[in-house]
Amino acid sequence: MQQILEELERRRAHARAGGGEKRTQSQHAKGKLTARERIALLMDEGSFEEFDMFVEHRSHEFGMETQRVPGDGVVTGWGTINGRVIYVFSKDFTVFGGSLSGAHAAKIVKVQEQAMKVGAPIIGLFDAGGARIQEGVESLAGYADIFLQNVMASGVIPQISVIMGPCAGGDVYSPAMTDFIFMVRDTSYMFVTGPDVVKTVTNEVVTAEELGGARVHAGKSGVAEGAFDNDLEALTQVRRLVDFLPLSNREKPPTRESFDEADRAEKSLDTLVPSNPNKPYDMKELINKVVDEADFFEISADWAKNIITGFARLDGQPIGIVANQPQVLAGVLDIDSSRKAARFVRFCDAFNIPILTFVDVPGFMPGTKQEYGGLIKHGAKLLFAYAEATVPKITVITRKAYGGAYDVMSSKHLRGDFNYAWPTAEIAVMGAKGAVEIIFRAEAKDPEALAAREAEYKARFANPFVAAGLGYIDDVIMPSETRRRVTRALKSLKGKVLENPWKKHDNIPL
Amino acid sequence: MFSKILIANRGEIAVRVIKTCRRMGIKTVVVYSEADADSLAVEMADETVFIGPPPAAQSYLVQDKIIAACKETGAEAVHPGFGFLSENASFAQRCADEGIVFIGPNPGAISAMGDKIESKKFAERAGVSCVPGHIGEIDDTAHAIRISEEIGYPVMIKASAGGGGKGIRVAHTRKDVEEGFPAVRAEAKASFGDDRIFIEKFITSPRHIEIQVLGDKHGHVVHLFERECSIQRRNQKVIEEAPSPLLDAKTRDAMGAQAVALAKAVNYDSAGTVEFVAGQDKSFYFLEMNTRLQVEHPVTELITGVDLVEQMLRSAAGEVMAFGQKDLKINGWALESRIYAEDPYRKFLPSIGRLVRYDPPVEGEHGDRKHAYTVRNDAGVREGDEISMFYDPMISKLCTWGKDRITAIDGMARALEDFHIEGLGQNIPFLAAVMDQARFRSGKIATSYIADEFPEGFHGVEPTVFQKDAMTAAAAFMHVTLARRARDAGGPLARPLTRQDWVITVGETRRAVTLSPSAHGMDIEMPGEGRSLALREVEWRPGSPVFRGVLDGVAFALEAKPAAEGFVIRQRAATARVLVLTPLSAELHERLPKRPPADTSKMIVSPMPGLVVSLDVKEGQEVKEGETVAIIEAMKMQNIIKTERDGVVKTVGPKAGDSVAADEILVEFA
Repeated sequence: MQQILEELERRRAHARAGGGEKRTQSQHAKGKLTARERIALLMDEGSFEEFDMFVEHRSHEFGMETQRVPGDGVVTGWGTINGRVIYVFSKDFTVFGGSLSGAHAAKIVKVQEQAMKVGAPIIGLFDAGGARIQEGVESLAGYADIFLQNVMASGVIPQISVIMGPCAGGDVYSPAMTDFIFMVRDTSYMFVTGPDVVKTVTNEVVTAEELGGARVHAGKSGVAEGAFDNDLEALTQVRRLVDFLPLSNREKPPTRESFDEADRAEKSLDTLVPSNPNKPYDMKELINKVVDEADFFEISADWAKNIITGFARLDGQPIGIVANQPQVLAGVLDIDSSRKAARFVRFCDAFNIPILTFVDVPGFMPGTKQEYGGLIKHGAKLLFAYAEATVPKITVITRKAYGGAYDVMSSKHLRGDFNYAWPTAEIAVMGAKGAVEIIFRAEAKDPEALAAREAEYKARFANPFVAAGLGYIDDVIMPSETRRRVTRALKSLKGKVLENPWKKHDNIPL
Repeated sequence: MFSKILIANRGEIAVRVIKTCRRMGIKTVVVYSEADADSLAVEMADETVFIGPPPAAQSYLVQDKIIAACKETGAEAVHPGFGFLSENASFAQRCADEGIVFIGPNPGAISAMGDKIESKKFAERAGVSCVPGHIGEIDDTAHAIRISEEIGYPVMIKASAGGGGKGIRVAHTRKDVEEGFPAVRAEAKASFGDDRIFIEKFITSPRHIEIQVLGDKHGHVVHLFERECSIQRRNQKVIEEAPSPLLDAKTRDAMGAQAVALAKAVNYDSAGTVEFVAGQDKSFYFLEMNTRLQVEHPVTELITGVDLVEQMLRSAAGEVMAFGQKDLKINGWALESRIYAEDPYRKFLPSIGRLVRYDPPVEGEHGDRKHAYTVRNDAGVREGDEISMFYDPMISKLCTWGKDRITAIDGMARALEDFHIEGLGQNIPFLAAVMDQARFRSGKIATSYIADEFPEGFHGVEPTVFQKDAMTAAAAFMHVTLARRARDAGGPLARPLTRQDWVITVGETRRAVTLSPSAHGMDIEMPGEGRSLALREVEWRPGSPVFRGVLDGVAFALEAKPAAEGFVIRQRAATARVLVLTPLSAELHERLPKRPPADTSKMIVSPMPGLVVSLDVKEGQEVKEGETVAIIEAMKMQNIIKTERDGVVKTVGPKAGDSVAADEILVEFA
């Protein structure tokens, strides 16, 4: 009997050794942890339970029958993050370079299905060399099986991908369909076709880092929602993110005890908006001073910086924050910022996370680059996302809310629940100067008359009271009171019920 | 006494004057420019008068506007503060002509002391010791040697038209003069086209010591001892103290007597300061007299108990001074640190902007009986205020008083720990570094102190053993508090946090610890070092930027910012990344190779956040050291970014019109 029990331990040890000591060392030398080390850090200590440890591939081609490693290049299973159930798969680069075989794909699909069934997030850790070419079309089928599960799970359970090594070709589309992608700087890259193919086809000479490194995707393409310096930081931050999220769309996000007073006043916010309307200020100061403990988990911090998105809490209750950033391009809405915010709003709505919006927006970005790029449809995505969202929506206009962008940014008209404005708000079709130049075109040659008209227009519209008079703004609030007011508003919305008409699905302007 | 006065100044000095006026029941009027419309001084004043756009030349310096404001509000007198119109004799005269009392010395005293040559003549006549030297024509080298020997070595040979370090030589011996005199003369001729030379006594390692004087309109003048202001950076005072660690009673009396003699010679009738340069041998020589209240006046107030602003008001109102020289005593020791909006880590570049967080130490008495110290913080700002480009970048003047110098220094170090500012660069870590330096603590200072002690600039210091302990204890407490809360909020499978053994890394120092939390504290055992730490009386909660506690009986505060993993902690001048790890995580950290820090010599980064006005290099272009590569505009000021090396441009980051963050890469070299 003892022997039989020992056999289990022997097999386990063999499986855990993955690709062996040498490959593990080379993984470490590259600044990367192994698949199992990563899971151990991601999950609560000792909570990980591995599935399919003894699965091996079934290929007999090209000598593969002589090379079998239990696990087959991916570690799957479940564990907990702060006691909450999480499913995980982690590509093992030390085994066949983490390449995807039929058996390997089946392991991933199994945890994907299980996660959906129990309503638990799934986290994928990527570090792999693509398809197992020896398996041919079986490997392609495996990819598609995973993709399908990604799509089915979208909006049902949070899906998070962390790119911690190579991720190319077919491998990129699974992360692409998840909710968040994080990358590790200098050790990870993502692209559809690699530098060699690029060279052959377009004659461009480019390194993997330049083509699809963390800086590229977190800063330029927007493909990744964040980048971290090493595996340990990335995994620490994924744990922090998970703490904000519900386990599935059947739950509300988890609340926790707050160490911050819910009615904390911040006197300095009364002077946040500069007296010169063209002078920028840092919207992040407002966010940090309003949310619990200045704890803000920013999503896509380095991309489309003219809009800020991320998670925070108000008196322990998680919220999603969307805010125009006057410090970057005056906080204008353009293609990238519309896409970034729209995707974030839809995530929050899918997972019952209330949305707090801070508005200081001069309008949409003009120019051929934007129009040729399809700003109309991209801008419409954000409008669409806000309009369809049924979660509690609280809006605070700090300064400019001009033109169509006013409508877009979670306005009353899009079913905003609480729409507040600071006394410094200017809710108008456009800035006073532009407006009088159109209305009083006849006086265009008389700068003095025009200046008088501008002052007149300003006095009439450069304030929140016209909108408040129409009921588009529920109340004008003191900036220093913002935390108290939005926290109260959020609590009052706990029982909000709002449903959209039945449809198979909507047709957002993709 | 006046019933209403006008303050023709702004910022902390305006607030300072208002405080005394309030105490004395005098109403105050503050004038303000557009930039100061929402300032603390404006908020505190009984009345305010708007006087124009931000530049001082269009507001605070316009005499007509100040006089008109007095008339409009019925202010009987004007306090000019320092700077602006404070040493302007014509303004003082103008006030007198308009029937408004100038709260400061009479115009005659201002003009007599305002002229450098004139004031020296007055000083010489009053028997004040001046720097020995020869100003007249020097015929030849032999003449130069004769003069030098009369003065006594070392001497300074200097071109009359000199400047920027050119045309100056110090001669310690006759031979030095033989070589140096012709050299300086030739250099002067070549550089300035003017070969006139003068020779004066060279004071080795000089110190800046000044005497506070106070007079009334009835011929009484006293001195309130000295202040030492040797800690300067580019002639800007940074740390001042009173009394001076250099002086003995005899020298103090001699300097005081000379200062009083000079003040009497010009009928001085207000608060003023006689500045001296002093040698390490306690020799001292007159420099100039400042006919106004000095920035650093609080240290004198702290050791004498005299409110100098009150005395200025009283003498301006014609009162007879209520005390004499015999009534004045030095009590304890006081220090002042000037908190500037500048980034010490970036060559002290000005770092103006918004005070996102401004949380100064509480004023009043601190510490236990043995280490008691008093904090005073003279500031004109509140959280959310702007340090603007238009005026002096001083945020506040932090002062401490203690029974002796070391107590005052230790108090200052603690007060600096308690001072939290966010939103702009500030010199608190630098000031803290000075407080911890053995040379400063010994009192062996000189005006060259900062240049001597920080020849390569300021880059923080390595944490001491205590600092590492404090960082270890604070991080342990914070980590466990946060981890527990996360577990408590967690799901059905959450297990209470029972782990006691952790590994804590402070920079490169790594220690295994056993943690036992207690109420408001924690015991930290460090088996590897055979000792343990007792953290008590913790004042911190998640989100607080400042962590306060008592470690093994020693009170401390530090700043802790959460990082992607762990915390970045600053205690005084030391900053470190601190991680609290499970043994497994610690082991995995060890397995990964240390990533070398980015090689910044191959790139040019933006020294500040701002707007790229121009970036005129192209990829592949060769650049030479000192060549301008970019202009970054920050707060309307253009900063020219030059290369510090030769190289070929590999990549250019942003383009003109882009916003850049601090440390963002502008240009990378191949």
